[in-house]
Amino acid sequence: MADLTLAATEAVEVVGADAPTTSTAPPRTRRRLPIGAILVWGVLALLIVAPVGSFLALAVSPRLFGQGAQWFTLAYVGQAFQGATAQGIVNSLWVSTTVAVVSVALATGLAWLIQRTNVMGRRFWAVSMWVLLLMPTWMTSLGWTDLLEPYGVAHAVGLDTQGVYGEFFGPLGIVVVLTASALPFAYFIVAAGLQGLGPEFEDAARTYGAGRVRTAMTVLPIIAPALFSALAISFAETISDFGVADTLGYHAHFPLATFTLYSAISNYPANFSVAAVIAVVLILSTVPPIALQSRVMRRARSYAVLSGRTRSPRRREFSTRGRWLASAGIALVMGVALGAPVIGAVVGSFVQNLGDAVGPHVHFTLTYYDQILHPSLVDNGLGSPLLLSNQLGLVVASATGVLAVVLARRLVATNGGWSQRLTDVLLLGTVAIPGVVLGVGYIFFYNLPLITGHVVDIYKTLPLLMLGLTANALPGQTRFMAGPVSQLQASLADAARVHGAGRARAWATTHLPLMSRVLVWGWLLTFAKTLSELPISQILYPPSQEPASVTIQAYLGNFLTSTATAMTVATVAEMLGVIVVVLALYRLLTPRGWRRVGWSVVR
Amino acid sequence: MTPHPHRIIARLVLAALALGTSALVPAALTTAARAASNPGFVLYSAQGYDHATVSAFNATHPGFTVTLNDNSTGPLLQQIQAEGNNPKWGALWVDGATAFAALDTQGMLEKHIAPSVGFNALGRANIPADGSYVPTGLTVVGALCYNSAAVKPSQLPSTWAQLAEAKYNGQLGMNDPSQSGPTYPMIAGVMNELGHYTSGSTAPAVAAGEAYFRSLAKNGLLVSATNGPTIGAMEQGSINMAIVQSSACYGAEINGSFPSIRVKYLNYSIALPGCFGIDAKAPTIVRQDAAKFLAWLLTPKGQHVMQTGDPQGDSLYWPVLNGIKPANKVIPPLSSTHAVTINPYVWGPLESGINTWFDKNILSAAA
Repeated sequence: MADLTLAATEAVEVVGADAPTTSTAPPRTRRRLPIGAILVWGVLALLIVAPVGSFLALAVSPRLFGQGAQWFTLAYVGQAFQGATAQGIVNSLWVSTTVAVVSVALATGLAWLIQRTNVMGRRFWAVSMWVLLLMPTWMTSLGWTDLLEPYGVAHAVGLDTQGVYGEFFGPLGIVVVLTASALPFAYFIVAAGLQGLGPEFEDAARTYGAGRVRTAMTVLPIIAPALFSALAISFAETISDFGVADTLGYHAHFPLATFTLYSAISNYPANFSVAAVIAVVLILSTVPPIALQSRVMRRARSYAVLSGRTRSPRRREFSTRGRWLASAGIALVMGVALGAPVIGAVVGSFVQNLGDAVGPHVHFTLTYYDQILHPSLVDNGLGSPLLLSNQLGLVVASATGVLAVVLARRLVATNGGWSQRLTDVLLLGTVAIPGVVLGVGYIFFYNLPLITGHVVDIYKTLPLLMLGLTANALPGQTRFMAGPVSQLQASLADAARVHGAGRARAWATTHLPLMSRVLVWGWLLTFAKTLSELPISQILYPPSQEPASVTIQAYLGNFLTSTATAMTVATVAEMLGVIVVVLALYRLLTPRGWRRVGWSVVR
Repeated sequence: MTPHPHRIIARLVLAALALGTSALVPAALTTAARAASNPGFVLYSAQGYDHATVSAFNATHPGFTVTLNDNSTGPLLQQIQAEGNNPKWGALWVDGATAFAALDTQGMLEKHIAPSVGFNALGRANIPADGSYVPTGLTVVGALCYNSAAVKPSQLPSTWAQLAEAKYNGQLGMNDPSQSGPTYPMIAGVMNELGHYTSGSTAPAVAAGEAYFRSLAKNGLLVSATNGPTIGAMEQGSINMAIVQSSACYGAEINGSFPSIRVKYLNYSIALPGCFGIDAKAPTIVRQDAAKFLAWLLTPKGQHVMQTGDPQGDSLYWPVLNGIKPANKVIPPLSSTHAVTINPYVWGPLESGINTWFDKNILSAAA
């Protein structure tokens, strides 16, 4: 998951450079034990640093965890840069770079159209972008397959997809699906950046005779921090993706690094050391975009445009024809990114004999949904796993939300020092780590006799799975919170404390109302991602307690693809149902004022 | 007085968290069960009928509980390897003997675990000399599945050599051994047969096999990840036949997803036993419990549950016990498959190298 609003961090930090700084740190008189930093780093060590470090150490020291004879070797580094693994690394680098550039360009255009013009259905598109954010890439790939495969959904309605199929199931399709996946991350970042950009810059450029393109070229650099943040996070999200690598990438014989990493450990005996080298490469590959982003951020003051005199953005009024054209453009992008795969998956789950060249004609059926209730694999239905996944989502989203707020406060603190910078680097680098690395790292670390015998014995239990899922969600959620947290003025809580409120009450009456929307949306995002998460769940789920994603995978493995698709559709529908209920409760229970301030998906 | 919205929200959040954390209760029970006098054992299994068998066993054997860790073969072996010297598995139950041979070589399997039951010849042929694992059923790989709506039986090849003939150009598919567990034993079996391997160096057999798969690749072989996509490619008309696991073809026919799929056996196929092994490092009581479960699997009751637990998939196996018949009439006599058994202790250690060679030379060259 990623930073939806690093822009808000950047856009607001950057843009807020002229605003009075209210977090006035008292002058240091004596060094105190940094208990807060120790606690935070203790949690980060247990959740991320130790497990991931255990896995990465195998790159040069397989004997450390009994995976070979050498205490130190560079042999596996050489192996990782040969043949398919080397090809996978090269492919991942160029695909991720392309996707990052294309998704940021698209996101910038969409954000401008949706926020700054009178294009039709602005709220609908903004919400659709959120739905796109929730879609796992493996489901998108499944939907495209159902849609375009020979004798698939498109063929059933009379469309010839033979030419498209060959092209789509190759690098082109991989870039399209990954761009669709990165698009919402980039969109929310750029949209937040645009939010702080008053109309005076466009007006000034137009006054001096600049055309539309020249105006855009003049104004866009002002939101460079947001654009580079979007680039960095889109790159990191793309290079760590496994869903597309395992489906479209494999099908097209186009290896991506996450797939070759998985291949290295899916054979027996597994080659954890080569996998660790690939993981290190994935993490290191995020350094250039992050460095670029940091370089831009260092010049933050020159991008400071938000001040007390900043005017509200003005909507550009298109002519009727222009409005229709712009709306059609957005519909086309969202149709490709979201509509097509959703239609493919949903229709595929209701149609029998799809993809059959010579069998009976396709026809409507509820068979696959019936199999959810009456599973063909005895005692292996979706009911209990889906309930468990919801419980996991509830706990993981809540725990992640609390930790993310704490970490976000550290991330945007003005006096954080080395601890803050390290937290920043760690959280960004972690975005590029595939879930399978985290999962196997958890086995290595939490099954060490030292840990199980003397610290805590939670291997093969639900608490360990919850920890793994929390660790997976935390980096993205923290950066999601960072923007809104950076907007909070410390003086609000100070004022409440002056009036006698305790720490908790001060927070609840000042910061909570301002943060409520982002907390709810952040919670929903983690909840949804937890429900669809597969790599960590598959490795860490306790015996006899399968989450829904693992059950669906079991059906796919037993050649019951249509039943698996129906289960996926049912899971996503249930997930959307929970989201609607939570949003309705939020609307019903919170004061109106809470819903009018702070960050929002839909502006 | 109307409660303040903060309090309502706080109560709702607490109630929701309480509901969620109730998920911890089963986990706590699991931990508690470990501490009980007979903790039972954790079964790592990739069999389609494992949920059914574990449920049935636990319902009729109250002395201890079998806890199931159901997953694909790859992740299970990954977990066993990552657990290293602190294993959490009590027994492993997956298709293919090569992984068991490797575990046995590392001293990780309990010896002589085969119960005294009436194994048929097929069963006996798949029990190693040290009895470190036991077959519970058997399928074959290298079955020639074909689309009977597209190809007539008379047009099909009868031998593996004929598969490489030009007239079958672009018609054949198979799985990737790196993704599909049963495919490596098939490749090893083909190498074994082409090289007429009996003992000594495997190099000539490997070379003969590599040349053969190169010729298939040149002839337009389609390589997909697993049985599902391979059979799917046949259904879509991209290919007309595929060399895959027998139960996958029978399953596709029985469940109606591919009514015209049929199976033909060439001059040989490769036996793929579903094997059961017990962790040698587990406490005695755990090993005893695992042995009781294994003994139950090899009773008529256990076999019945295995044969009904995944009726369109793994249940379509050939029994390894005298007096037990296959679950479905669609399964022909085993003699018609010309199944051969490979030595897993010879071919198991070559798996990683041969899979890498396949991906580099065949997967990249294949259609």
